[in-house]
Amino acid sequence: MGRKTTVQSLNEALHLVMEAHPEVYCLGEDIGKMGGDFSVTRGLYAKFGAERVRDTPLSESAIIGAAVGSAMVGMRPVAEIMIADFTSTCYDQIVNNAAKMYYMFNGQFKAPIVIRTATGGGFGGGPHHSQSVEGWFMNVPGLVIVAPSNPYDAKGLLISSILDDNPILFLEHKGLYALKGEVPDEFYTVPIGQAAVTRPGKDITVVTSMKMVHEALAAAETLAGEGIELEVIDLRTLRPWDQKTVLDSVRKTKRAIVAMEAPRTGGPASEVSAVISEMLFSTLVAPVQRIGALDAPIPMAPVLENAILPERRDIIKAAQELMAYR
Amino acid sequence: MRTLSKETILKLYKDMLLVRDFEQQLEQVHKRGLIPGLLHTGVGQEATFAALAYALEKTDCFFPDHRSHGICLLAGSPGEKLMAEILGKANGVCGGRGGSMHLADPSVGNFGGNVVEGSMMATVLGPALAWKMRGEKRVAAVIIGDGTVGRGEFNESLHLASIWKLPVFYCLVNNQYAISTHVTEAHPTANLSELVTGYRIATGQVDGNDIVAATQAALDAVDYIRSGKGAFFLEFHTYRWAGIFSGEIRDPEEVRMWKEDKDPIRRARTLILTEGMAQESELVETETSVKKQVSQWLEYAIQSPAPDAATALDYVYANMEVLGRWEEKQQFNR
Ligand SMILES: Cc1ncc(C[n+]2csc(CCOP(=O)(O)OP(=O)(O)O)c2C)c(N)n1
Ligand SMILES: [Mg+2]
Repeated sequence: MGRKTTVQSLNEALHLVMEAHPEVYCLGEDIGKMGGDFSVTRGLYAKFGAERVRDTPLSESAIIGAAVGSAMVGMRPVAEIMIADFTSTCYDQIVNNAAKMYYMFNGQFKAPIVIRTATGGGFGGGPHHSQSVEGWFMNVPGLVIVAPSNPYDAKGLLISSILDDNPILFLEHKGLYALKGEVPDEFYTVPIGQAAVTRPGKDITVVTSMKMVHEALAAAETLAGEGIELEVIDLRTLRPWDQKTVLDSVRKTKRAIVAMEAPRTGGPASEVSAVISEMLFSTLVAPVQRIGALDAPIPMAPVLENAILPERRDIIKAAQELMAYR
Repeated sequence: MRTLSKETILKLYKDMLLVRDFEQQLEQVHKRGLIPGLLHTGVGQEATFAALAYALEKTDCFFPDHRSHGICLLAGSPGEKLMAEILGKANGVCGGRGGSMHLADPSVGNFGGNVVEGSMMATVLGPALAWKMRGEKRVAAVIIGDGTVGRGEFNESLHLASIWKLPVFYCLVNNQYAISTHVTEAHPTANLSELVTGYRIATGQVDGNDIVAATQAALDAVDYIRSGKGAFFLEFHTYRWAGIFSGEIRDPEEVRMWKEDKDPIRRARTLILTEGMAQESELVETETSVKKQVSQWLEYAIQSPAPDAATALDYVYANMEVLGRWEEKQQFNR
């Protein structure tokens, strides 16, 4: 046990799984000697060698294709796509190949791959390094999208993901890499498909994920001073997401905000909001509020970027408006 | 170069007949509306498929494309199960989920068709990489058409196969057309293997309608790959009789030449008779028995039951536990 960053906890997960499972290997750009653009694969190359920690050229489609093909013969590859925006260059391999394989071939082939990728904005990365790509992948049957918000979950979810038989897109928010938390040294798992109630409250359910979890917690702190209690739910898995935990919470609070960093249109906030509205229409006392990035690419200049990305003030405002409904 | 025995040539002749009958009988039922979706046949390309199926071992793998029923059949999947799949039946090799373009059968090394044409060039790297890492001397083949060399995956795949020295067998079926577009209209050269040279991957070209030459070339390529030297890119020059859309326009003299003078089955038959490998009567006997065999497969497929609609959601997730907390259970509305 000890306080570790998300990067350290992810790194520990990879070390532990690779030690225990010879069929696990990593591939991606600069993941070997350099240890990855964000240091998540640090030390793996020295320990496991160039065969199992494979540097690649900028061939994203071939990276995912190779990962899928090797998974078909029993390997468990962990592919790194440096930045989530670049998943567009291997989109076909993910959605048409990995995600459809088990179904298309009637269960004869599995594609247990993990695609780790650094997602999200807030650091001046500009339009090609800051995007939240959840919406691109939300409506892909067969795909699992895992999105941790803290170091403890990051480690346990990465281990679960590598050992799971589904193809998994594993989102690592860049703004959370340096976040510290208590992380046990040993091997443990966190279940995929289960949300966590991060802060209990009776007035409004806030469904959120990754960095927005922390914005929601900050908003909850402020609102507590006004006598408004938020119940913050960290989805942890975006697809298939934990409808039970969310709906149970909204049955209690009767009000809901869905706060995600991805653009509101066609994204996870829309999806969660639609299900709540559809299933609990008569329970709700107010319309479900979606919070997300405004519909624009993510600009570089901080003033512009801040104007586009959602944050705690958006949650506070939405919560105050929701409490006006009786 | 290996010499082929009389027995081998006679076997390959029969293989080609099987493929031709298989596909032509399917074309007939497609016209009758018994195949729910698309059907792309490789009639005219049988020598290429027979050569490939002969050269690969059961422990190797291949990724077929939309026109590769021939190799799927000759690799050893039961003909009736392939036909049942193509007709969308429950007892097809993929339970009717895949159809003619997604035939898969791991028991014979058929790793499944992906008809985002050319994308399998990326996927084929996977088994090749895994086998190389595990020290298994197996060959991973991918079948691609001339049209697919324009894909980005063509380059990404050759690139990785080259630097990692992977046991990949690129089987390019250059039948001169991608739908309506002739190779000379779409590519810098009509000999597409020339495009590979810069990747430092061994290449070859062969008359894909000459069963002996095609088989020898395929065997050589597989030997090369299995010896650990890396990938091989073999271009089969051939011609497909069938189009994709009826709107494809072909020069009638070109079609006549390929159907008559260059038909791989006719050529093999002439070779067998002139070299005295078999009597005409023996060949006729083979031809009749093959037709009968294929008709039985087709009958089985036609009589087979359709899949049960209640199974439409099976196999979406390989581990269903991840769905444990969905409330909104997916409903069958119909
Ligand atoms: C990526 C992609 N683009 C377009 C198509 C539509 N399409 C199907 S077959 C085909 C032509 C393929 O030509 P070729 O590779 O030469 O194969 P052939 O049909 O001649 O065997 C096209 C464009 C597709 N299936 N996939
Ligand atoms: Mg073609």
